[in-house]
Amino acid sequence: MAATSDSGVDIEEYDDVWVFVEQHDGEVASVTWELLSKGRDLADERGEDLVALVMGEDVAETDIPQQCIARGADRVLVADDPVFEPYRSDPYGEQFRHLVETRKPAVALIGGTHTGRDFAGRVAVPTHAGLTADCTELEMEDGRYEMRRPAFGGDALATIICPEHRPQMSTVRPGVFPAAEPDEDRDGELEDVEVVVDESETMTEVLDREVGDVADITDADVVVAGGMGTEGDFEPLWELADLLDGEVAASRDAVEEGWIEPARQVGQTGKTVRPKLYIAAGISGAIQHLEGMDDSETVVAINTDPNAPIFDNADYGIVGDLHEVVPELIEYFEEHEEAIPA
Amino acid sequence: MTDGWNIVVCVKQVPDADDVSIDPETGRLNRSDAEAVMNAPDYNAVEAALELRDEVGGTVTALSMGPPNADAVLRMAVGMGADDGVLLSDPAFGGSDTWPTSLALARAVDELDADVVFGGEETTDSSTGQVPPGIAAHNGWAQLTYVEELEARPDEKRLAARRDIEGGYERVAADLPVVVAMGFGENDPRPAGLHRKIYAETDFEPETWTAEDLGVEDEVGLAVSPTQVGGMDTADPVPREQEVVEDSEELAEQIAEVI
Ligand SMILES: Cc1cc2nc3c(=O)[nH]c(=O)nc-3n(C[C@H](O)[C@H](O)[C@H](O)COP(=O)(O)OP(=O)(O)OC[C@H]3O[C@@H](n4cnc5c(N)ncnc54)[C@H](O)[C@@H]3O)c2cc1C
Repeated sequence: MAATSDSGVDIEEYDDVWVFVEQHDGEVASVTWELLSKGRDLADERGEDLVALVMGEDVAETDIPQQCIARGADRVLVADDPVFEPYRSDPYGEQFRHLVETRKPAVALIGGTHTGRDFAGRVAVPTHAGLTADCTELEMEDGRYEMRRPAFGGDALATIICPEHRPQMSTVRPGVFPAAEPDEDRDGELEDVEVVVDESETMTEVLDREVGDVADITDADVVVAGGMGTEGDFEPLWELADLLDGEVAASRDAVEEGWIEPARQVGQTGKTVRPKLYIAAGISGAIQHLEGMDDSETVVAINTDPNAPIFDNADYGIVGDLHEVVPELIEYFEEHEEAIPA
Repeated sequence: MTDGWNIVVCVKQVPDADDVSIDPETGRLNRSDAEAVMNAPDYNAVEAALELRDEVGGTVTALSMGPPNADAVLRMAVGMGADDGVLLSDPAFGGSDTWPTSLALARAVDELDADVVFGGEETTDSSTGQVPPGIAAHNGWAQLTYVEELEARPDEKRLAARRDIEGGYERVAADLPVVVAMGFGENDPRPAGLHRKIYAETDFEPETWTAEDLGVEDEVGLAVSPTQVGGMDTADPVPREQEVVEDSEELAEQIAEVI
């Protein structure tokens, strides 16, 4: 392999796997731990270091950098400045760009959250990096780094390569990779980096920010999801989810109806869940929905239409009205509490 | 800015998602029978652009990059109420990934002296969501993505937006020029008016610009795209039991087995 590619980029100069640590108000997004776990495997396979990049105000005083080491990072770069709080695409993009240009990582992983997808391009464009959205698989194949992502709404899986440009950047949705347990005994290096962004150069201003207590459906063992078939009545689903110690989720159309908050949407433009049990009630099973629930161990479908595609994608199904079936399930579990694991 | 704002809305022609099928013989994607339509989230972008024009004055120009017949989506936007349309069309663009695509669009919106550029949240065919931030990055402009609502502030030469964020929302004000990616389904796109539609389909002719017109002929196409498609596999459906049970009790027993 030629050291300098046709693009004029000396790809041999680039090494290490970077993970962007997404934190808001000191709360680290769970996708960060998932990416550190995946990034650790990649770094080991490539024989390189795993580097975590933390940006924020007063983050150096939090335990976040140390947590990154416990979660697998060899080194943590900390850019600590008020300009990074709250998040804005322009200062984040600019700081990350500077670090990429000066330190030359080979691979960079960013959460496929609204934050990550918002600024990834502001790094990839000026550095002429390859950026692949919403990857679901990241692999080293015969020495070549391959990023795989769903295409055509999930009907196909495209393998994306980035032969001549660096870094090879990916965004990855929450829930795609499992997070590893922290190991408090791991050693690693912390480094404060120069902040190259000045408030006077920013183009945006956050006027206000409202974040509620959001349920994390990506973490639940049981997910009870409702679609248009609920006709807006999610009450029985909440009851069943409570009983089974699970979370309620929904299809996009149900979210759009305003029946439930967007954080609970499963699918291509929502979240990826990987519970033991996924109950799809009144959901047709559109390809964009399946994409977010395909990692579930067992899928149960409740639908009045025997031809609904969800039945082809379910382990157990019942052709029936969810307004009858769900209350019957609730009744069963109320009577058979022993069937519910403690 | 008494004359209102120069508003540009980017729209893309995509195969109708419902028509893209997999050939059971070859396992390949069959896109040829799919009807070409305007990317669904772009309707929200056009609507937002028109609403903004209604509020602050100015013009809305629809912009697309694609083959010559992609003028159909410009006609769609003009039918809805856009004032004009420009098509970036050139074999040189073929195979461009999001980097050169957003470069060509960035040059075009600069040429159009845009104050605000709209795009949809993502496309239904490639769903990267990278093009609007890419345009902003190429031009060094501000951006607002996952936008739910806009608030024009012409006196400040700023545009504020409510953006969807994980677990809530935030309101952000951005200096012009700014690129806005409208959230999918965040407004109710107006239908094309009859007279406007007739005009769009008969008298209206979009301008067509080539890579050379934009001065990007050496910076677009497959060869300069940082990412390449290394292969395409049909996504195997996850194998499922597909067992249909007769009554709720049986279903409950199955559920009890797995939890
Ligand atoms: C770019 C793009 C991205 C998208 N992203 C997502 C995404 O992330 N997530 C997502 O979910 N969708 C997504 N969609 C939308 C997706 O294509 C479907 O429109 C959506 O999933 C349908 O939701 P649904 O199954 O709830 O509704 P419907 O398709 O309307 O299905 C309702 C189902 O309920 C059944 N039903 C009706 N009444 C009852 C009853 N009383 N009891 C039991 N069953 C009943 C019906 O038989 C039907 O099967 C996306 C679409 C696009 C174009």
